[in-house]
Parts: sequence; structure tokens; C-alpha cells
Amino acid sequence: MATLDLLTGVLLGTIAVGVATAILAWRERREPGGLPLVALMIGQIWWSAFLVFDLNTTALATKVFWANVRWVGVVIIPVAWLLFALEYAGRDEYISVRSVAGLSVIPAITVFLALTGDFHDLLYVETTLVSEGGRLVLDRTGGPWYWVIAAYTYLLGLLGVLPLLQLVRSEARPFRGQSLALLVGAIVPWATNILHLVGALPVEGVDPTPVGFAVSGVALLGAIRRYRLLEVSPAPTGTARQRVFERMQAGAIVLDRHDNVVDINDSMVERLGVDRAAALGQPVAELIPAVEDLSLREGSVGHVRITGADGERTYDVAVTPITDGHGRSLGNAVTFHDVEALLHQQQRLEVLNRVLRHNIRTETNLIAGYAELIDEGEEEGIDELIKERAERIEAMGEQAREIAELFDREGQADEPVPLARIVTEAVASIRERYPDVTVDCGPIPDDVAVTAVLRPVVANVLENAAEHNTSEQPRVGVDVEPGADVVTLRVEDNGPGISRYERAVLERGTETPLEHGSGLGLWLIKWGVGFAGGRLSLEENDPSGTVVTIEVPIAGRRDAGESE
Amino acid sequence: MAPSEDDTESGGPAPRIREALHSEDYPSDRQPILPTLVRWLTVLGERGGDAILHSGAYLAVIATVYVSIVMVLLDLPPNPAPLIGGFVTFAVYANDRLVDLDADARTNPERTAFVRRHSRTLFTVAAVAYGLAVMLAVLGGPITLAITLLPGLIWILYATDWLPDRWFQNGRLKEVVVVNSVVVAGAWAGAAILLPLGFTGGSLTVSTAFVLAYFLLRSFVNSEVPNVRDIEADRAIGVTTIPVAIGVAGTRRLLYGLDLLTAAVVVAGGLGGYLPVLPSAALLVGLGYSLVVTSLLGRVERMDRVAIAAECEYIVVGLALAPVVYGF
Repeated sequence: MATLDLLTGVLLGTIAVGVATAILAWRERREPGGLPLVALMIGQIWWSAFLVFDLNTTALATKVFWANVRWVGVVIIPVAWLLFALEYAGRDEYISVRSVAGLSVIPAITVFLALTGDFHDLLYVETTLVSEGGRLVLDRTGGPWYWVIAAYTYLLGLLGVLPLLQLVRSEARPFRGQSLALLVGAIVPWATNILHLVGALPVEGVDPTPVGFAVSGVALLGAIRRYRLLEVSPAPTGTARQRVFERMQAGAIVLDRHDNVVDINDSMVERLGVDRAAALGQPVAELIPAVEDLSLREGSVGHVRITGADGERTYDVAVTPITDGHGRSLGNAVTFHDVEALLHQQQRLEVLNRVLRHNIRTETNLIAGYAELIDEGEEEGIDELIKERAERIEAMGEQAREIAELFDREGQADEPVPLARIVTEAVASIRERYPDVTVDCGPIPDDVAVTAVLRPVVANVLENAAEHNTSEQPRVGVDVEPGADVVTLRVEDNGPGISRYERAVLERGTETPLEHGSGLGLWLIKWGVGFAGGRLSLEENDPSGTVVTIEVPIAGRRDAGESE
Repeated sequence: MAPSEDDTESGGPAPRIREALHSEDYPSDRQPILPTLVRWLTVLGERGGDAILHSGAYLAVIATVYVSIVMVLLDLPPNPAPLIGGFVTFAVYANDRLVDLDADARTNPERTAFVRRHSRTLFTVAAVAYGLAVMLAVLGGPITLAITLLPGLIWILYATDWLPDRWFQNGRLKEVVVVNSVVVAGAWAGAAILLPLGFTGGSLTVSTAFVLAYFLLRSFVNSEVPNVRDIEADRAIGVTTIPVAIGVAGTRRLLYGLDLLTAAVVVAGGLGGYLPVLPSAALLVGLGYSLVVTSLLGRVERMDRVAIAAECEYIVVGLALAPVVYGF
């Protein structure tokens, strides 16, 4: 049985604490850092146990054997420590089977060299038995590999401390408390080891590092129970922040103090249509010429037009300065919110509002005027005129409802509708409501399907052509020409035509108090074609009237024989 | 075990002691000291007794005595092996009770309530106990360390589902009939003999075989007694234990037979010079106690107490051995 001196007693205490800590950590093994902590404690227990065996033997060969087997525990510790720190600090992206295997290569070689020490001098060049303080201990002179594993151990120890230091600076207070306990657990054994190497400790001939791990074990055990070490884990925070940056819908770039791009998120890469690797390091003015001298402007810098993969779009750009702890500028984080759709929506609502107010006011003024005529005694035909104006207001309401529905559908995928059905229904409706108008409809391919948004568009185009046609022989012609990817719908009439002025208002897309179009129908056609991803053109017909050409993408094709 | 924070939160000893001190019979300003003290000590004793019983601490005491008996029978010098036996037993059974909470709720609601209420404390104490066991085992060298680490290793394999299910019927060794009793008996007896031998560097002899035979038989009997208690629950979940298979009366007769067989082994060992004579006589005292306990099987209502009484056989043997060890 082993003899019990102070050093052995302390080492035994280390083992008891290590085992208890390992068991408690095992219970938390599914939490970040739980399993590496178990491994760390196993390494420490192994080291301590075989040191006790070594201390309590006097024969050189037996001592050398225990000392060599001890290396298994010694080399587990730095690897487990680094894995613990990475996992606990949420840097688990660095942890994989491959990386753990890679980290274990040098430790595995060390154990192999230790167990085969009789055949080479790589780990130790000389081993002798000496008496230190009344105790027989091994005096070993390290070989070249000894310094490799020593350097490797300190490197991993340092790499493990770094992410935990970052946690200490974390804003979340519980994490700081945890990390301080962890740092005590980390620094004490490393410090013990360094003090031993420089000969500052009174324990001659024996490496007391596992004793340092007794303190480490107590700190970790205390951290587990007091700070709920592995139950309140900061692991997600680092990853979460990075993920938010990478996956946010808005584009974002990070600039250094010289406005060079040092980070760029997925959304911005996609929007600009650039290669991520090529973008990094570029001056922002080269990557996005529209954005200049951002570092001078803090907060929102308003709207900027940027040409990217989807053409020219408007972005709301915001600049957030990044400073260090002393308030010195490190650079800027710049976010780009795509407001193109929002601006269009705003524009459309303004137009809708203005046209509705203008037209309703016009119609109500007319109705009021007719009412005055009745008051003055002119009654013939007035009632019909009033009724007509009232119907126009009602029709305006109906168009406003259709436009509202269009707005709701914007950006939403809908079920493609056969173009033949849309055109046939619209033509039938016009023929029924305007029996005096001749509607000529060419052949319509029955295998072409388009977005359902086109239904109110086609209805309004035909309605405009028929309703405002004051010709003696009113006529409307409809032609459809299918292409490979797009289908062209051409509607021509022999009415008075749409004035150049009104076409200009439509093309500009906005109305002013002085410049405005006559009705909602044309706006509905313009916006509907835009939502359908198509193009609209309005031309004068010869000798009179208008030619409306709508070109929209084909949303689907079906077999000609397939029934609807 | 010291009362934890949980105790006070869940109406532990503090309210009960307060209740005892401030009962209506004895207003606080006129309480006679002696009855109050008696009442206070009674409450504390009840709580302590519950803790010792439900946590499995009494099993640790039995295990300590068990290993001590081995050392006396093999005439081994004093060493920490009995303490290791006690610590490991406490850790293993405390963990077993924590794992089997749901299953035990049927057969032992009081214990389940205790373990559930103090689960965190119990787990921590079990971890510290195992740590102390490993610490002491290191003093005995690699063999005692390996023996002590074995339950921990099995625990990890069990917890991580690395052991094949077919060995354990859905991962539960406990549910394999007879094998369960034999394995438990073998593990107890083997570890209890090897631990002190590891410390003293002793070797396996014929005496060791007699001691092993004695403890295998005793452990088998002791592990079957609780199965009589659990007969209804085992039948309900379809586990065929010996009492389920051959009935309570049949089990009683089987255990009588095993008691007598053990007596024959002890007498043979003593007469053959393989077991020391006086300690062997102490073993026979224990066997007499066991016959009485076995006779109670199926004949009393509180079978849980009979099961505990059976486990206490080693205490009886230990008490009988004390005069032999320390002199009359």
C-alpha cells in the first residue's frame, strides 16, 4: 500500500475533486463544454493517479513505466481544455471530427514515444534516479520531442484562454462571473507548471501541475453549482451575432477606417452580384460607386440608387460607426435596406389618392351643377346625366377595389391562368355591355398561361377601348402573339386615342396637382403589367385610336388537349 | 446527510421542528425542556433515519461491514478497502435510485418522493463519494483502482447506450431474471474480495474460494428477498423473477435450502482449516438470523422492511465478529 506523505495526500485530494467534478460535468454533457470538461478531468485524474503510483515506487524501471503511462493523462488536458473553451464560448464551428483528430496527432505521437522510450531518445535523452528531499524521484532530461509537446501544450492552453477572455468582457454579467471562475481554473494549473519549470516551487523533482488542477477542479465545480456554469451558456451568442449578420435580409458591409470592405454579408453579395472574396479588401467607392465618403456621415444617410444584379434599385443606407474602448474609430458598419418596392408602393398610393380625390370631386361638382339646373327649371334629361355621373363614381370605386387587390397580390406567387380564358371572358363582357362595338379577336393559343394579375388588366384595356370609342363604327381588335418566354397581347381601337400628355403622365409614374391623367383605368393597366413583370406601350393608331401592347412572361404551358 | 436548501423550501425539518416546539400543549413561554428536547430529537431522528434509508446510506454501511468481514476471514491487515466498498456502494445505489425514479414510484413511493426532492444533492453527494472511493483506491495501486473504476465505466457505457440491448432487455440489466441476482451477487463478492487483496498484495487461495462461495450464496439470497416484495409489480410488467415463477412459498423453501448450503460451506471451510474457526462461528450466527428473516417471507405485511432486514445480515455477522476481532 502507498505511503502517505503531504504531496501524496494533496494529489489524492486532487483525484477526489477531479472524479466528483467529472461526474457532475458528465451530467451536463449535452451542454456546451460539458463533455470536454469530463475529458479534462479524466486527464487530470490519470496524471495524478500515475504520479502517486510513481511516487510510491522506488525501483527505477517501475517508476519509468508509471511516468511514461502518465503521458496519456498529460496530453489529454490541453486538447480537452481548448475544446472546452471553444465549445463554451460558442466557437464550435472550429470543432469537428477532423479538427479533434488533427489536434490529437501530436499528443498521440507523444504517448507512442513515451511508451517506446527504451528504443529512442526523442522524448527523453537521459533518465536517472535521484534523491530529492528524502524522496527517490526520476531526473529526466528532455529530448527534442519533449520541447515540441511542451510548446504545443502551452499553445493550446493559450488558445483556450483567449475566447474565454472575450467572454469576461461580455456584456452579459452571469457569463463574466462564469468566465472568471473558469479563468481561475485555467490559470492556476498553467501558472503552477510554469513556476515548476523555472524552479520557483519547493517541490523538487516532482511536477506539481496536477495539484494546480485540484484548485482548477474546485473552481470548475464551484462554477458549475454557483454560476450554473453549463446551464446558462453563452455559446449561442457569438454564433448568433454572426448568423444574424450573414443571414439578415438587408445588405450589410463592414468598412475599416480607410473605407475598405472587411466583411460583407450574403444578402449584399447577392444584391451586388459580386464575388465575396473579390469584394473583401476593395475600397467601398469601387465596389459601390454610389456610396462615397460614408465614414463622414453617421446615422441614416438617406436613399441611394445602386446598380446591382437586379438593375438599379433604391436603398436606404445607414452608417453605424465602430469604435474601440477609447472611442477611437475602427471603421463603420453600413446597412442597405432595399426600399424600391416601398417607394413604388408609396408612389402608387399617392397617385391613387390624387386621382380618386380629383375625379370624385369632378363628378360631384357636375352632379351639383346638374342639381342647380333642375333648380332653375331645366329638367329634361338631367336625371339621366346625374345617374350617369353617379355610375361613374361607382365604377371608380370598383376600379379602386381592383387596384387594392392588385397591391395585395404584389410579390405573391399565384396560380397561372390560361391567357385564352382571360381574353375570352373580357371580350364576352365587352360584347355584352357594348353591343355597338365590333370586337375582332384573333386566334388565341390555348396552351399559354399567365399570372392572374393580368385578368383585371386585360378587362380594363378592352373597357377603355370600347367605352371611350366615339367613332361612328366603333371597333376593337385583339391579337395574341406567343413567343418562347413571353406572350404579346395587342389591343387596338379606332376611338379618339389617348393624348400624348396623358401618356407622358403615365410613363413618369407620378401625378402632380397640375399634371394628372383622366382615370384610374390606365393606372390599373400600368401597375398590373408592372406586377406581372411585363412591359406596356401605348401608341397612336392610324388613322385614329390607340394601340396598347402588353408583353408579359409566360407563367406556364399546358398540353393543348388538356381540359381546363 | 445535512439538510439542503431544498429541505427548507419543501417543508423539511425546520417547519416540523418549529411545529414540535410551538405545539398548543406547550405554549412557547412555558415549554418544559425535556419533552421539547425529546420531541425535537425525535423529529431529527425521523428525518435522519429517512435520509439514511432512502438515500441508500445504510447500504454503504453494510458494504463497509461486508468488506471488513472478508478481511477478517482472509486474515488481511487493516486497509481502506472497506471504506472504498462503502463509498462505491453509496454512489452506485444513489445513482441507481436517481435513474429508476419512475419505476420505483410504483413499489416505493416514499423513497421516490425523497429522492426526487433531493435529487441534486443526492447526485452531488454520490459524485463526491465516488471521488473519495477512487482517491482511496489509488493508494492500493492499479488493481484496486481498476476495480473501483469498473462501476463508473459500466455506468458510462450504460448511460451512453454503448452496451448491446440484447444483453439488458431494453438496456435494463435489472430486468433480466436470475441473471440479475447472480450478476449482482458476483459483482459484490468479487469486488469485496479483490479490493482488500489488491491493497495487501495477497493472492487467490482455497480460502478465497470458500469466502467467495459464502458471499455468492448470501448475496444471491439477499437479492431474491426484495423480489418477493416486488412480486406483484414484476408480474404486472411481465418480468419473471424466481418468486413470480415458483411462488412465495417455493421461494421460501429455496432460500432455506440456500441458507443450509451456506452453513455447510462455512462448516466445511472451518473444519478443513480454510476459514478461521471463531469468525466462522460468527458467520453461522448470521445464517441463523437469515433463517428467521426467510421464514417471514410472505407472512408479514411490510415486506419492504423484511427486505431491509435481509440486507442487514452482514451487520449481525459484523456484531458477532466484533468480539472476535477486538477480543472478548
